[in-house]
Amino acid sequence: MITFTIDGYEVQAEAGQNVLEVALDKGFDIPHLCYHEALKPYGACRLCVAEVTSGKRTRLTTSCNYPVIEGISVQTSTEKVIRARKMVIELLLARCPDAPIVKDLAREYSVGRPRFTADNDDCILCGLCERVCREVVGPDAITFLGRGSSRKVGPPLEINPKTCIACGACVYICPTDCIKLKENEKERTIVRWGRTLPMKTCVVCGRSFAPWFQLEYFRKITEGIPKDFWDKCLDCR
Amino acid sequence: MEPTNVYAYKLVSRKEYFSPGHRACQGCAEALAVRLVGKALGRDTIAASATGCMEVVSTPLPFTNWNVPWIHVAFENAAAVASGAEAGMKALMRKGRLPKKKITFLAMAGDGGTSDIGIQALSGALERGHDFIYVCYDNEAYMNTGIQRSSSTPFGASTTTSPAGKVVPGQVTWKKNMPEIAAAHDIPYVATACPSYPIDLVQKVKKAARIKGPAYIHILSVCPTGWRLPPELSIKAGRLAVETGIFPLYEVEDGRYKFTVEVGILRPVSDYLKIQGRFRHLDEGMTGKIQKRVKEEYERLKKKVKMTQGD
Ligand SMILES: Cc1ncc(C[n+]2csc(CCOP(=O)(O)OP(=O)(O)O)c2C)c(N)n1
Ligand code: SF4
Ligand code: SF4
Ligand code: SF4
Ligand code: FES
Ligand SMILES: [Mg+2]
Repeated sequence: MITFTIDGYEVQAEAGQNVLEVALDKGFDIPHLCYHEALKPYGACRLCVAEVTSGKRTRLTTSCNYPVIEGISVQTSTEKVIRARKMVIELLLARCPDAPIVKDLAREYSVGRPRFTADNDDCILCGLCERVCREVVGPDAITFLGRGSSRKVGPPLEINPKTCIACGACVYICPTDCIKLKENEKERTIVRWGRTLPMKTCVVCGRSFAPWFQLEYFRKITEGIPKDFWDKCLDCR
Repeated sequence: MEPTNVYAYKLVSRKEYFSPGHRACQGCAEALAVRLVGKALGRDTIAASATGCMEVVSTPLPFTNWNVPWIHVAFENAAAVASGAEAGMKALMRKGRLPKKKITFLAMAGDGGTSDIGIQALSGALERGHDFIYVCYDNEAYMNTGIQRSSSTPFGASTTTSPAGKVVPGQVTWKKNMPEIAAAHDIPYVATACPSYPIDLVQKVKKAARIKGPAYIHILSVCPTGWRLPPELSIKAGRLAVETGIFPLYEVEDGRYKFTVEVGILRPVSDYLKIQGRFRHLDEGMTGKIQKRVKEEYERLKKKVKMTQGD
């Protein structure tokens, strides 16, 4: 067990945890956009900044990738922290003025109209979609592209990610809801990635139930399952 | 089918707020629904819980499996207690007696506690506009006291107070449409959900928490004990309720209706009815009546979706 303080309160954590997850678990409010408990921390949005004092040194740092260390003290809402957070929110607001999650943050931190120009894309470059596809799903279908102001997330070569199984995990995790999924009897599309896959119909009841390509992927990665398992819908299995 | 059903569930919180160790029956989808609601809302939640199965199984004195502040209230007043908690905390925060913090107020009750005895408290709370979420766990009867019919029990179902016999074929009234009653209050958010579609359920609860003002979520909660159904079929039964059109999954956001799980070709209602003992006595005539009614209601809902979308 590691003991340290957050805003003066003594807390205990397991070695290997990061400051943000412990703080959230104990009820401290630290806003965060690129952290998710199921994924490796990435430290990109810089919203989770806190002041950490270790020994004689105090510095402003992202808390999602700061490991818990015996004896440190963490401050979650000093003037410096709030100023840094406001700056981050202002930049986010300039980039994504319409994203509800960004608007909520701006309201909470009284950040007004941005001084920068808006480019109207709801993607905040948190990288959650890219990490979930690689770390949780597996196909590693999308990636960061470009640099600087033209940096974005998308399929390599920007069209039709060849390994995407249209599972929708990225759709679920995107904090700004800018990855949409569309489905009908014939096909499923992950709109943002330009990926459309034909649907398979159940060999028993004839209803469309999942993309072909996804089922073939499962057939490949699973063992010891009856041959026709992936040809039947959930109710007919 | 829920399109995000494959990996997204791994992204739902691993923390338990309605932890294992409760005493619900095997295969109880109501307990599963409560667990998912807890995961979606997280730790900063205060729950007011009417009496019923979920209270009885979770708090046999001196134990509890709740990991958030939880208030056991009477049968009829979950919505009133949640209103009071919300108004009280708001006042204390305004006066600086409590630190400002976003807290979710959850009122929960069964179908009896909602559509019968609790409807007055609920209607009042919705009308006053409290910032809270009301969740009805609908297992279609008063299960905790021994399977008595409620106004939410479906037509034809046999219960101990609507027994199927030679003259009367089980419940003779049609199920009260609670989500529509909630929507008629013109609140910002109303949704139906079912734990057989866990990601859809979690997303709706999260949305309800984010939206300011009252939200109502009606969760079909399969009860193997009361429905006379093998426990291993409860998830499938929930899916069949949706795929037959008996319990469509939709939401009403600021008056706009939207299906959240699209069903292509509806299955015949018999797929759902025939696996449950409570419908065992139904003959073709009764099943036909149910099929006709389901089709009509489904068409009516489709019209509402069409009418309110894109304006
Ligand atoms: C005023 C009042 N009448 C009756 C009861 C007895 N009672 C306790 S729980 C319950 C039924 C609960 O049914 P429901 O709300 O559908 O929840 P379920 O047990 O089915 O989850 C009844 C009748 C009571 N506690 N208070
Ligand atoms: S698309 Fe969504 S999840 Fe992906 S980087 Fe952009 S905001 Fe993040
Ligand atoms: S939908 Fe495609 S890109 Fe998104 S997580 Fe699944 S496989 Fe990856
Ligand atoms: S009676 Fe039904 S609702 Fe109550 S605990 Fe048992 S299965 Fe769940
Ligand atoms: S949450 Fe820590 S940098 Fe984004
Ligand atoms: Mg009930």
